[in-house]
Amino acid sequence: MPSKSGHELVPVHELVSDKETKELLKTMNLDITNLPRIFSTDPQAVKLGARPGQVIRILRRFENATLPYYRVVVED
Amino acid sequence: MIIMQTEVIDHIKFGILRSDDAKRLSVVKLTVPDTYNEDGYPIDGGLLDQRMGVIDPGLICKTCGARAKSCPGHFGRIELVRPVIHSEFSKIIYMILQSTCRVCHRLMLSDEHIAEYRSVLPKLEESVEGDLEPQGAESEKGFSGSAAMLKRLKNMKKCERCKASKGKFKFSAPTYFYVDDYKLKPDEIRDLLSKISNEDLAVLGIDGAVSRPEWVILSVLLVPPVNVRPSITLESGERSEDDLTHKLVDIMRINLRLDQNLNAGAPQIIIDDLWELLQYHVTTYFNNETASIPPARHRSGRALKTLAQRLKGKEGRFRYNLSGKRVNYSARTVISVDPNIDLDEVGVPIDIASKLTVPFYVTLWNLEKAKELLARTEYPMVINVISKDGKRKRVIDTNREELLKGLQVGDILERQLMDGDITLFNRQPSLHRVSIMSHKAKVLVGKTFRMNYCVTAPYNADFDGDEMNLHVPQSLESQSEARNLMSPQFQIFSPRDGDVIISNNEDGITGMYLLTKDDSYLTKEQAVYLLSIAGIYELPKASKGDLYKGRDVFSMLLPKDLDFDGVSGKAPFVIRKGRLVEGVVTKDTYGRGNNRLMVKIGKDFGYEELKRFIFTTAKVADAFVTLMGVTVGVREYTTSKRLEEERVKILEDTFRKINKLIDDYRNRKLEPLIGYTLRQSLERMIIAELNIVRDKAGETLLKYETEENAAVEMTRSGSRGSTLNIEQMTMFLGQQATLSGGRIKRGYYTNRVLPHIVPGDIAPGARGFVATCYYSGLAPKDLFMHAVGSRSSEVYKALLTARSGYLYRRLSNALQDFYVTDDYSVRDTNNNMIETVYGGDIINPVYTQFEKMDKES
Repeated sequence: MPSKSGHELVPVHELVSDKETKELLKTMNLDITNLPRIFSTDPQAVKLGARPGQVIRILRRFENATLPYYRVVVED
Repeated sequence: MIIMQTEVIDHIKFGILRSDDAKRLSVVKLTVPDTYNEDGYPIDGGLLDQRMGVIDPGLICKTCGARAKSCPGHFGRIELVRPVIHSEFSKIIYMILQSTCRVCHRLMLSDEHIAEYRSVLPKLEESVEGDLEPQGAESEKGFSGSAAMLKRLKNMKKCERCKASKGKFKFSAPTYFYVDDYKLKPDEIRDLLSKISNEDLAVLGIDGAVSRPEWVILSVLLVPPVNVRPSITLESGERSEDDLTHKLVDIMRINLRLDQNLNAGAPQIIIDDLWELLQYHVTTYFNNETASIPPARHRSGRALKTLAQRLKGKEGRFRYNLSGKRVNYSARTVISVDPNIDLDEVGVPIDIASKLTVPFYVTLWNLEKAKELLARTEYPMVINVISKDGKRKRVIDTNREELLKGLQVGDILERQLMDGDITLFNRQPSLHRVSIMSHKAKVLVGKTFRMNYCVTAPYNADFDGDEMNLHVPQSLESQSEARNLMSPQFQIFSPRDGDVIISNNEDGITGMYLLTKDDSYLTKEQAVYLLSIAGIYELPKASKGDLYKGRDVFSMLLPKDLDFDGVSGKAPFVIRKGRLVEGVVTKDTYGRGNNRLMVKIGKDFGYEELKRFIFTTAKVADAFVTLMGVTVGVREYTTSKRLEEERVKILEDTFRKINKLIDDYRNRKLEPLIGYTLRQSLERMIIAELNIVRDKAGETLLKYETEENAAVEMTRSGSRGSTLNIEQMTMFLGQQATLSGGRIKRGYYTNRVLPHIVPGDIAPGARGFVATCYYSGLAPKDLFMHAVGSRSSEVYKALLTARSGYLYRRLSNALQDFYVTDDYSVRDTNNNMIETVYGGDIINPVYTQFEKMDKES
């Protein structure tokens, strides 16, 4: 399956809106600093034009499901 | 309400204690070099002055007014009439004196040189902030930079600033410093050190704000409180002092004599001698193993244990008392087998059971029972009573009646360990969670812990002298957790890959295999005996006259309404309504591979039933093996004539093929494999050919060996040994490989392994293929090849276990505090999200069907 990101081994990355981020963090009982990080210089983050503090959703595909992973953009 | 200010410790700075601080820390100046007076009372100003705290019960500390137990102890001081060097710092003193000028008291380097070195040295101020260690490359640079600087300073002849000559400067361990053969006195050294500026010290890596170098010259000696050096009263009533006290007495005695001589105006030689003696005593007080001076000895000739000796080494405070703390309510002894003990039980020797205790909480409803227990005078009896106010009293024959009368609700009895009490059983190294499991105690005679052999796998235990630890959880909560989470039946399936960790093995499998074979029939006596062992007192229907089919007897152990379809070897394995209709039980049908009996029973009937199944089948199988008598001997590994012929034929076949390959290679007719040179292709083809011959030999072996061969039976049932093992004994050893996985090729420079081989020969035999077997004996050349292979695999094994063991340790330490939350995310203790969903697929391998991973992928 061709991926939106351009290579089938790179999962789809997408920007999460600030409003959705707030809700997500609430349901997951997390502070934004608790999320795993992604550098703002990461090729995918650059492509999305993500700024530090924003959250990126990564849709990882597995044999039986596609699951969302979240990372917070941080300055390199 | 008390508002507590909490602060996080940001950093700790270590410095040197200066004499003024020592004076302020101490509560008393000691003046008398003695301990007790004639009446046995501590002398005021003596070494056991009561202002430094008390150790005898009943006495009151003169400083804080507390009694022995609650007084923390207070420091005293000895004011030395002449200063001495702290010997542990003499190397640093040497370094400083050598680097500074004795005339202008500056670092002997010019400003330019200092600036030059400063740029490569790690900065003192910066290393405190932020990262504790300077960055990798920088620190190395800094290290070599400072080493270079010190070396330069050491070799300098004169000061770069005032051009004054350095003179001949010498240091002699432990505390002597000479300038042009004049011995510097400690006070002279102090004067020199005190004139060095903090800026110059900073270049040498010393922070003058917290550790001025002159502070290492001692004029006040801090005396530790008495509870650091308690005196002991011997049985004879004689008092014996601690080594430290002895040493301090020595110091004070010389100090006093020096004082008297100074006041009397004694000649300089006598003063110097006493001064040096004082230095010796202070040096040995800190470290009695100081190099190049004789250790101070006790009257008996034993070397004194002074401050450094208390802390240092294996038996020191750190390794012995802090890292190696002992645990209460625990026991350790040798383990041994007992197949009659359940998987979740542990046999505890009576000696241990009567020492370990379990709390018994006295309530309104068990008061009578508690009294009954307390009244007992033998084995399950009460050892301690903890009354409501927390006082612990040991129950002895003389106070039992009294305690019995005073017993009330809310007290806690500490009773001896009894059958059914939950305990934690552990074997080191505790590499994974199943290295500690909970077992119910079963008190037995004997001196060893007894356990079921089916639970040896998770502990990685065997019975060749292994020891294991037993802990008794004390709180009800921990007991409940142990019972409901850590019990072996909950650990049967591995969280690693879903394979079984606790399973029947070895003889337990052989027994079931023999029992369920097609031609297995038992007499009534045998059937009754076997079933009675499992606690079953009814017989299946007899078949074949008065004989009972082995399968029917086995079926009695199965859950009543079990339906199962599996494979046994290539044949079907069928269970209908709890009756084994067809098939033989092997390791694979029982508990290995995809579709196995254990998973089915665990899933359909629960862990408790599965545990019972493993336990009873193991017990019955063992009994059956004992009944039948299963053994292996040389007979099992004897080469038959037919097999020998077969062996020769197979090998000839292979050698012919390989010779063809080699010929093709020499004639450039060989088709190379993709990605390999012609030579590599040939090598790979030869190795592939040799692998084929090994498999072929295995097949032939099974074809020719009859069922009477116990070794083959073991292999078939999966209990022990593989066809390869038998093959190596009866046919040929096969290719001996080296570390790199290739064939053996190194040896002589003429490209041969041994001088018996034609140079450059790449035939199987010349490169470590062994065509002889253990039974007929290895040919000399083959023996050598075998030894090469053995050695290299032995070396590899040692290397691999050490490396992978440490790798695993780092990994498990890094991951140990992660946990799976309600929403299946993995988090650490700071609520950091590690993984959004566990494993990326929310699959817990424990609840999956185990599948062997494909080796090729």
